[in-house]
Amino acid sequence: MRRILNTLMEIARNVARHKLRSFLTISGITIGVLALTTMGALAENFNALIDGGVAYFGSSVQVGPPDGQSTPILPISKVDEIKKIQGVAAAFPGYTFNAKPGQLNFSFGVADQIVASDPAEAAWGAIRLTYAQGHAIEADSQDQVVLGTTIAKEFSKKVGDTIELPVRPPDAKPDFVSHSFKVVGILNTTRTAPDNFAYINITDGQMLLKDSLPDPIRTSFDVTQVTQAIAVYAKAGTSLDELDRIASRINQQVEGVKALKPSDIVNGFKQGSVVFTGITTAAALLALIIGGLSVVNTMFMAVAERVREIGLKKAVGATTFNVMGEFLLEATFIGLVGGLLGYGLGVAIVVIRNTFFEPADGSTLFLITPTLTIFAIGFATVLGAVAGVLPAWRAARLDPVIALRNE
Amino acid sequence: MANVRLVELTKNYKRGSEIIRALDGVTLDIDKGEFVAVVGRSGSGKTTMLDLLGLLLKPTAGSLFIDDVDTTKLGDRQRAKMRARRVGFVFQEYNLLSGMNVLENVMLPLRYVKNGAAGKQRAIELIDRVGLSDRIKHKPSELSGGQMQRVAIARSMVNRPSLILLDEPTGAVDTETAQQLVDLLKLLNREDQVTIVIVTHDVDIASQARRQIRLKDGKVLTDERVEEKLPVA
Repeated sequence: MRRILNTLMEIARNVARHKLRSFLTISGITIGVLALTTMGALAENFNALIDGGVAYFGSSVQVGPPDGQSTPILPISKVDEIKKIQGVAAAFPGYTFNAKPGQLNFSFGVADQIVASDPAEAAWGAIRLTYAQGHAIEADSQDQVVLGTTIAKEFSKKVGDTIELPVRPPDAKPDFVSHSFKVVGILNTTRTAPDNFAYINITDGQMLLKDSLPDPIRTSFDVTQVTQAIAVYAKAGTSLDELDRIASRINQQVEGVKALKPSDIVNGFKQGSVVFTGITTAAALLALIIGGLSVVNTMFMAVAERVREIGLKKAVGATTFNVMGEFLLEATFIGLVGGLLGYGLGVAIVVIRNTFFEPADGSTLFLITPTLTIFAIGFATVLGAVAGVLPAWRAARLDPVIALRNE
Repeated sequence: MANVRLVELTKNYKRGSEIIRALDGVTLDIDKGEFVAVVGRSGSGKTTMLDLLGLLLKPTAGSLFIDDVDTTKLGDRQRAKMRARRVGFVFQEYNLLSGMNVLENVMLPLRYVKNGAAGKQRAIELIDRVGLSDRIKHKPSELSGGQMQRVAIARSMVNRPSLILLDEPTGAVDTETAQQLVDLLKLLNREDQVTIVIVTHDVDIASQARRQIRLKDGKVLTDERVEEKLPVA
């Protein structure tokens, strides 16, 4: 223990020996890890969103109108037809509406949406929704809404409040219709789509659908006989391949619908995730590797300056391994300090951004995860160690006789 | 009993196409507890012999035994271990680490031996013996040349080696300090029965050793033992 402490003290002393040089070297690593932390947090937030999509779409079959039909309307009878298909355990109609029509808001996440679904569907979805406040919508209720955490924050709503949905745009025409809903529940954060959703009952969804229709056909159109989409579920634990087969069977056996293969959707999400993570991480790693090169340079200079010291250590019994270990530890220490500082600054920026500069839509942009923490600090530390290998090897191979008499 | 045995020990260097025979088939024994001065002109092979004895160099030919171990058969790692345990070094330029204080410098060799952490008390005791107890927390830059060399001597003894090698240890200090250092070495030699081999140009210093080995062109020119005067009771 004392030996480790002494070694650490010597490393700290060696690093402090050239304060400005060490500061600049550590700054290089710090900036790299800062970039890696913030870019990584951006990617992690995006990935959490994607993971939610993968979980949801990877556990259900989405059925919509057939190719060539632009209007998202299906006869509600299709729900019963689909239920008869082999492998289908449940099918639910659903309606989705823009919660903020007429507003162009740029967001890194999902746009705010009103989702009308059967409360029973919650038991089938892969994303288990839990309640921070209140409860689920009651089956036969009307004008009740459960808000996702982001949308609740955006409109500063809590259980018992009312919310006008869809949200009236500032330049709304006089005939714009919205309804008052009572907030009965607020969901816990999921870091994915449901955070931006306002969940209402099927009957309320049909009401909104009716409101959205043009005047001439509104009165003649029976919204209870249509659905915008159908979510199809198999029994729990069904594989993605089997869900694909169910989608194929639906397409073959049910007329006038198009079932999307879950694997196609999942692959699409994953591809997007890989590209985004690749771009952000590569940019950050580039910055970090440049920082690593400064460690190589610093360590080579340290070896050149400490030739006599190396010779002395060998003379008093240090092995090649000992000398190499000491320089490697020093380089690793620089990487670790740079990593901790860069990670700390990155987290501070993320916290400040998420706390004090929250966007109007309540969304978060960054997500610090344990994986990111380990990766950022671990990568900087390993980078320091790797950067120290060549200088340490040079130090370890020095001839003690020459080193001791080095001027 | 021989502490160190050189058998036809030879070291050649290459300079271009020319081969320089720095040490040329030297055979001699150095007994445990001897105080030996190695003298000779520049280029006579003194430093090469010291580097060979300290296992910093590998001989071109011949054998070198330290405590009956044939060191020429040892690998680099075993030679390093033997340096740590059996050999102490003192250099003309002190070679103290500037960032460490006196105690830390003396304790440095403990780092490279097993159970070295237990040697702190030994280091403190040695610092006391070389008369630097009041400087134990001082950095080398706060010490005089003589004091720094005392620290180096204490460092050389911390692992209880059987052999201490000194390369012109008084070369960078004044005459009075040089004598004090030699007195200290004689005391440690007598009290600890440690073998001391000192390479020096200084005739006065060499004359105080009980044995003088004079080298010339890499060979032993003379090897004389001197009867030590017993201290007056």
